[in-house]
Amino acid sequence: MRLGIYVAIPVMLVLAVLQTAVLPRFPILGLVPQLSFLVALSWGLLRGLEEGLVWGFIAGLTLDLFSIGPLGATAVAYMAAILVVSGLVRALPENRFFIPVLMAVVGSAVYLFVYLLFVRLLGFASSVETAVTLAPLIVLNAGFMLPVYWLIYWLDRLIHPRRVEL
Amino acid sequence: MNLNDAPQRIRWLTVAILVGLAVIISILDATGNLDAAFGVLRDPLTAVLRITSGGADTVAGALSGPRDLEAARAEIAVLQAQVDDLERENEELREIQGEYQLLLDLFNRARQTPEYTRQTASVIGRDTSPAIDSIIIDKGSDDGVRVGMPVESARGLVGRVFRTTGRSAQVALITDNASAIPARLGNSRATGLLRGGELGGSLLMDWIDLKYQVEVGEVALTSGLGGEFPQGIVIGRVIEVNRSEAELSQQALVQPATDFDSLEVVFVITDFQPLDVDIFSNPPGN
Repeated sequence: MRLGIYVAIPVMLVLAVLQTAVLPRFPILGLVPQLSFLVALSWGLLRGLEEGLVWGFIAGLTLDLFSIGPLGATAVAYMAAILVVSGLVRALPENRFFIPVLMAVVGSAVYLFVYLLFVRLLGFASSVETAVTLAPLIVLNAGFMLPVYWLIYWLDRLIHPRRVEL
Repeated sequence: MNLNDAPQRIRWLTVAILVGLAVIISILDATGNLDAAFGVLRDPLTAVLRITSGGADTVAGALSGPRDLEAARAEIAVLQAQVDDLERENEELREIQGEYQLLLDLFNRARQTPEYTRQTASVIGRDTSPAIDSIIIDKGSDDGVRVGMPVESARGLVGRVFRTTGRSAQVALITDNASAIPARLGNSRATGLLRGGELGGSLLMDWIDLKYQVEVGEVALTSGLGGEFPQGIVIGRVIEVNRSEAELSQQALVQPATDFDSLEVVFVITDFQPLDVDIFSNPPGN
């Protein structure tokens, strides 16, 4: 777990810089995929709830450094999404193609709902129209989930090689 | 004590600690208690942003011009070295023309309203939250940029400085959900409140009195009411009017003059003093 945290901090800082300075130059449908979220979600699917939550927490905090929204709001929303997804994935059959995409859809929807609700509670403006405008983000995140998931799968194998008994 | 429950307890303890921590940070930040602490963190990150943003510009420029590249290749095949030289010279001239255009825009803006001093700043990042419209610029409190200062582009109003660090500032855009700007229409002189958060990045001008005949194509300008923005800055143009006699007021959809997707340089109006309206919220004698 500790090694995962040490990896999470630099990874999430790099992704936050990409998210604010590079990805907005190449928008798709006027939106940019949330790579930090997809990475944290993939890590949670592969390494379990606790590590997923820690990665979601770090991802949210680093992203909020570059936002005028309340610091920690993204962390709360990411953790809520990972919590829901982790509970849901236990009830589903194991599949490395369909399940990550489905979880990206569910996770993104939960993230948007919790984030908009949380910022509203803290006095920021958000409305049903905002949620409708951001709905394509769910599809966008789902589209990017598989390559991110497999990259994280490879990274996980690199950090935690499986023991083989001969 | 059942030891089998221990991992489950630890798991929920982790959830509780992390969620609690995030909520406490959010509340502290919303009340402005974390500005100094995170300003120290944001400054070095801004330096990284500046470098990354420059690289991204180069890549975006290269990707956006494949047709020019193909045309240039065809010409090179015919005219070879001579055309190559001319192309290079042409590119240099375009660069100069771009800089000239920028300086001309800046000069024109300054000439239109000579009473204001402007600080030019480059856009180095955008808000990481999809629900919030803001940009990060490369000028901060060290350059005289302060919270509340109006920000404009060569074409019109951009927004207001929301937060500053030593070398950067975050600007809340007029298209953001929370944005509400008192505005006036150029021809009809109707006043209303321009709100962000509409589909397609347009703005909704609300509370326009029914006595005014609002026309499509009218220019919307800041009215100066409320004292947060100087009077007469162009915001955009009316593209649709929603008038119903059953309502108490009418609405107009306004397309912002600034193209926020391709925004690279902005001007911060540094010597405009926003009106302090807090005195009206406190009863006399307090």
